[in-house]
Amino acid sequence: MTARRRDPRAERATRVVPSDGPRLRLALTALDSAAPVSVRPRRDPRARRADATVQTAPRLRLDWTGKTLAAPVTVPLAASGRGVRAAVEPVLRVIDAPACLVFAVLDRADGALSALDRQVMAAARLLADALDGAVVALAPDGPEDWGALGADRVLPLPAAWSHEHAPESRTAAIHAAIARLSPVHALFPESQDGGDVARRVAAMAGERLFAGVESLSAQRVTRRAGGGARELSCAPPRLMSIAADAVAPLGPVRHEARLLDPVTAEVPTPTLGPTRRLAVDPDGVGLNEADFILSAGNGVTDWAAFAELGRALGATRAGSRVVCDAGHLPRDRQVGASGTVVSARGYLAFGIAGAPQHLQGIGGVGHVIAINTDLHAAMIKRADLAIIADAQAVMPALIRLMRERTHG
Amino acid sequence: MVDVAVLLSVGRHPVSGRARRAPTDARALELALSLPPGRRTALHAGSPDSPALRDYLGMGLAELTVLPMAEGRDPTDALVARLRAAAPAIVLTGNRAEGGEDSGTLPYSLAHALGWAIVPDVVALTLNEDGSAELVQALARGQRRALRVAVPFVATIHPAAPAPRPSAFGPARRGRITVEPVDAPVDTALAACAVRPWRDRPKRLTVGAPGGGSGGALDRLRAATEAKAGQGRLLVGPTPDEAARAIYDCLQEQGMLPR
Ligand SMILES: Cc1cc2nc3c(=O)[nH]c(=O)nc-3n(C[C@H](O)[C@H](O)[C@H](O)COP(=O)(O)OP(=O)(O)OC[C@H]3O[C@@H](n4cnc5c(N)ncnc54)[C@H](O)[C@@H]3O)c2cc1C
Ligand SMILES: Nc1ncnc2c1ncn2[C@@H]1O[C@H](COP(=O)(O)O)[C@@H](O)[C@H]1O
Repeated sequence: MTARRRDPRAERATRVVPSDGPRLRLALTALDSAAPVSVRPRRDPRARRADATVQTAPRLRLDWTGKTLAAPVTVPLAASGRGVRAAVEPVLRVIDAPACLVFAVLDRADGALSALDRQVMAAARLLADALDGAVVALAPDGPEDWGALGADRVLPLPAAWSHEHAPESRTAAIHAAIARLSPVHALFPESQDGGDVARRVAAMAGERLFAGVESLSAQRVTRRAGGGARELSCAPPRLMSIAADAVAPLGPVRHEARLLDPVTAEVPTPTLGPTRRLAVDPDGVGLNEADFILSAGNGVTDWAAFAELGRALGATRAGSRVVCDAGHLPRDRQVGASGTVVSARGYLAFGIAGAPQHLQGIGGVGHVIAINTDLHAAMIKRADLAIIADAQAVMPALIRLMRERTHG
Repeated sequence: MVDVAVLLSVGRHPVSGRARRAPTDARALELALSLPPGRRTALHAGSPDSPALRDYLGMGLAELTVLPMAEGRDPTDALVARLRAAAPAIVLTGNRAEGGEDSGTLPYSLAHALGWAIVPDVVALTLNEDGSAELVQALARGQRRALRVAVPFVATIHPAAPAPRPSAFGPARRGRITVEPVDAPVDTALAACAVRPWRDRPKRLTVGAPGGGSGGALDRLRAATEAKAGQGRLLVGPTPDEAARAIYDCLQEQGMLPR
């Protein structure tokens, strides 16, 4: 038997990929001329390098993070497609004749549900599912998709309570709702106002509040006590408040969210007067409490402008260790591993390189803006908005802009 | 002139476990000492032998009344009866005990039993001529809220209130501890709880979660290992005004600017 002779030229010809690039491309296996070629797009290293080039003179600078675009246009990065699963619309669950009710009393402070509110809903769902019960959400009224949050019933409270401080009327309404519907459990968020109302309701009902639940199952709840040294646990009692991050929020669900009649509680004559917010001196606020921090590093030399900018923005001033060592700011204003670990929502950093010890201090910060002359500073990588510019030039410009916007 | 009662419990040092002044109770006493002098009642329900009581006296308190009871008793009724008898205008307490149940519910039960108003998380207190008081409450993120309350009321003191003065040896020795025997029922709700030493658990990770549930294993691994990088925009060499505008817009989007 003789093997068939191979024709290398003909085989090669079948592997040529038609393209208009500068080089000949060959596929690894013979191409079926009818079927299209492999789907994975080819990487073009030259084009990638051209995209990453930030400047060519005076020396070549490349940025492989993919954030750079030709200056000074800005385009937000597209979210990476990996890990995004197709959203499956959950099926509607209707609980018509629940064996019992579980209350989830939500703050809905400033007209929006907090992460803790969602966790309280998840906790209520867990207890209700174990008992074949239904979850009743009690919250200041508002356009919320209660069904997707896991509520079988909704008992709206006056919408104004999400903005005003009315603990006594809230307590009376919740107490009346508990008396009318007699839920097996009523869960509160252990937030400042939510925890306050929970304790008021417990005192009014003459029941014990299991405050600050740290872990929860249908059989057992635990909380921390004894100065943090002991764990108390028991079967879930009637009134509980849920600590932050103790329960995982719900995945996608769809419940009925049937509206219940609002409760009519006789409004007590309030003993607490009306409240008003006080203006706070941002520099008097401790760094660990501060909400918005203006921070300076070694790149800042104009301290008068820095102080002025702090006042204009209403931000708490802070700095890196170098700055505090040099005496430009007091030691209690140092951010970082050996200073204060901050948890502000906003962090505006001028001339900070972003040493690991400094980045440790801002691990929990929500939104970082960095201004630095060095494109390769670690702070630039950490920032949500990074600006390559001179701090001394940007600070006066920002002060001017703030003045225009506040007075004009 | 105002009559004030302060409730003092015994704290526990978080590292050594030794008895100490409970942090917010000491702040409550500090606030009481800084008010214009009137009748001052300091109450503790528990063991009269605790060394921490001398630390309170060392702050300049002349007398401390102890309602003796064993651990695991419910002090509410005894304290209510004693407060009714003393009839102060203001009751100051800590907002959380340290070393007991630590639920912060005792002041609420007292206020309800006495039928008085309660204001939590107070950091400052000033008295008006007309028998009402201006209170400042601490909120999250360093914010403050002011309100006016008529006496009598109960106020719980927040950890952000002025720090307590140190305890001095002389006054601590001179101060008197008066013991007034009372009956206290066993705290049945507390007795029904199982007690174990606290053990830290790993924090729950909710990362990259569409719809709030936990994301894939890849997301969790990334979150645990990578340094957090901003999903950012980069401006290279803008003019100062462009840069200022970009910062302003970004801050406004985040709601950080004063309105
Ligand atoms: C044990 C230990 C603990 C430490 N703890 C801390 C800590 O808690 N907190 C802390 O912050 N540090 C800490 N450090 C120090 C840390 O390692 C760094 O030295 C420090 O954070 C650097 O501060 P910096 O970024 O302000 O200064 P530099 O490293 O000098 O960086 C200055 C930056 O400003 C930029 N710049 C220069 N001129 C300008 C301009 N005109 N406009 C804009 N930008 C400009 C530069 O490009 C540079 O990126 C610690 C170090 C050690 C060893
Ligand atoms: N045994 C006690 N004696 C006196 N005051 C107490 C006692 N227990 C609690 N308190 C007060 O009530 C506050 C809250 O206590 P708790 O509800 O146990 O967290 C404490 O900060 C004290 O001021």
